[in-house]
Amino acid sequence: MTPGRLAAAAVVLVAAVLLPQVAGPFWMGLVTQMIVFGLLALSVDLLLGHAGLFSICHGSFFAVAAYTTAILQVRHAVPTALAAPAGLVAGTLLGLVFGLAVRTRGVYFILITIAFGYVVWGMAHRWSSFTGGDNGVTNVPFPAVGGLRITSDTEYYYLALVVAGLVALGYRRLIRSPFGLALRGIKGSESRMRTLGYDSNRHLYAAFVLSAALASLAGVLYVYANRFVNPVAASFPVSVEAALMAIVGGTGTIVGPFIGSAIILGLRNWVSSFFELYAAVMGGVFIVAVLWVPEGLVGLAARLRGRAPHA
Amino acid sequence: MSTAVEVTGLVKEFGGLRAVDGVSLSVPAGERRVLIGPNGAGKTTLFHCVTGTLAPTAGRVTLFGRDVTALPEHRRTALGMGRTFQISNVIAGLTCAENVVLAALGTDRRKWLLHRPVAALDDVRRAAHASLELVGLGPRAADAVRALSYGERRQLELALALTARPRVLFLDEPCAGLSPSERARISRMIDDLPRDLTLLMIEHDMDVALGLADRVTVLHRGRVILEGAPGEVQANPEVREVYFGHV
Repeated sequence: MTPGRLAAAAVVLVAAVLLPQVAGPFWMGLVTQMIVFGLLALSVDLLLGHAGLFSICHGSFFAVAAYTTAILQVRHAVPTALAAPAGLVAGTLLGLVFGLAVRTRGVYFILITIAFGYVVWGMAHRWSSFTGGDNGVTNVPFPAVGGLRITSDTEYYYLALVVAGLVALGYRRLIRSPFGLALRGIKGSESRMRTLGYDSNRHLYAAFVLSAALASLAGVLYVYANRFVNPVAASFPVSVEAALMAIVGGTGTIVGPFIGSAIILGLRNWVSSFFELYAAVMGGVFIVAVLWVPEGLVGLAARLRGRAPHA
Repeated sequence: MSTAVEVTGLVKEFGGLRAVDGVSLSVPAGERRVLIGPNGAGKTTLFHCVTGTLAPTAGRVTLFGRDVTALPEHRRTALGMGRTFQISNVIAGLTCAENVVLAALGTDRRKWLLHRPVAALDDVRRAAHASLELVGLGPRAADAVRALSYGERRQLELALALTARPRVLFLDEPCAGLSPSERARISRMIDDLPRDLTLLMIEHDMDVALGLADRVTVLHRGRVILEGAPGEVQANPEVREVYFGHV
């Protein structure tokens, strides 16, 4: 890291730690959501920004993890220490199945992931006896592990912040590894990578499963932050918005998806307070981003400073 | 001497078109074989079938005595195959160094490492740098591929094929589209390759082809019409007719 970037990171960290001193519970809740959806967008971007695959089913892993944790914790009184990992495992297992989508490319990949997403949404929506139907699963408690328990939104915010920080460090390692470089190689020229000795489908499958695991982690964090989960979590718009958060912030970067998440959730919150058709406004933002700022805000900032973006 | 590449009765059809029509050829280890033939003779299609980019309609391909007809490309690379493409196929969006690092890792189990940075694999970085030096791209290691000239992309293309130290190298018109001086430079590089490396090369330029080849195979309309030493091929009236038409 350059001194400038290190200083910027330090400022952001201090601001994040001090934020609860100035912001009320509503704002803390919103910022926690920004972190959670930033993680979801980051998981989508492992495929989109690095491997070049546009997945629109990450709401599925997110929701399956959230439902699993919620159902275990609420209906079966399973403690967090088991319910949270179970959510992570359930979402990742689904990733192992949906990962079959990597046998296709381009528009077929997009279509099959949309179809997968609808299967999960349909189950969440219709299988009422198990998922609670439209009402979902409510009254999810704050997480507690042993004697340690979260008792307020502010404490939960700190937990989410620590998890996001650890994920960012791990993700940084991953994308700098031979595996991460190979994903970018496949994005650049899959045919060349195959002649260099790479089984591109296996690499993409592994990336897909890792990405699903990260989306599941976001889902577990989401259900404890939200205190309930309903079929909206598995819906098509969630999967699309996660991708668009990555695009708006800047694909192929780590901060980009978090910035995109903050912008989109912040904007939605603000616009929806005075304008009922806020979804139309969000659509307009996406169109502008894709047409005029396809490299996202991080890329735009880099372009204005006249250099290529770094991860 | 053992056989590096053996092709038996290879056929490739695209719909009604027989691009390769029953080609058989055998290249001993260490030989430098050049394929020539007019446009549309099926040279590149034959290459694609031998390297695994395309699946043949019929026929059999062996590399070093092993039947690889049904083997995917990446497995053939693991057996010691390297290739270049007629139209430069280098990895856009990465630097030259990253390109050759990927080439060095392609046949190495460490390509699956998730937690160690590429920068920490010293031997891989050294191998990558050596191969850039070999093709004269050492000073451009940190530059993005998109900043390279056409000729430099051809050099990088060659570096990608050489980094993993293949035992048999397929070169599809390595000098295509180059200026005379760049052409001379690339053919010198190829000439300087180790003699134990088996070489199969498609080349349009007769001078380059005949200068490098131990033996030449002439393809015409998907069939082998002649195989022989460069001198024989040059003197053959049928070859002259195929290349220049009736005189």
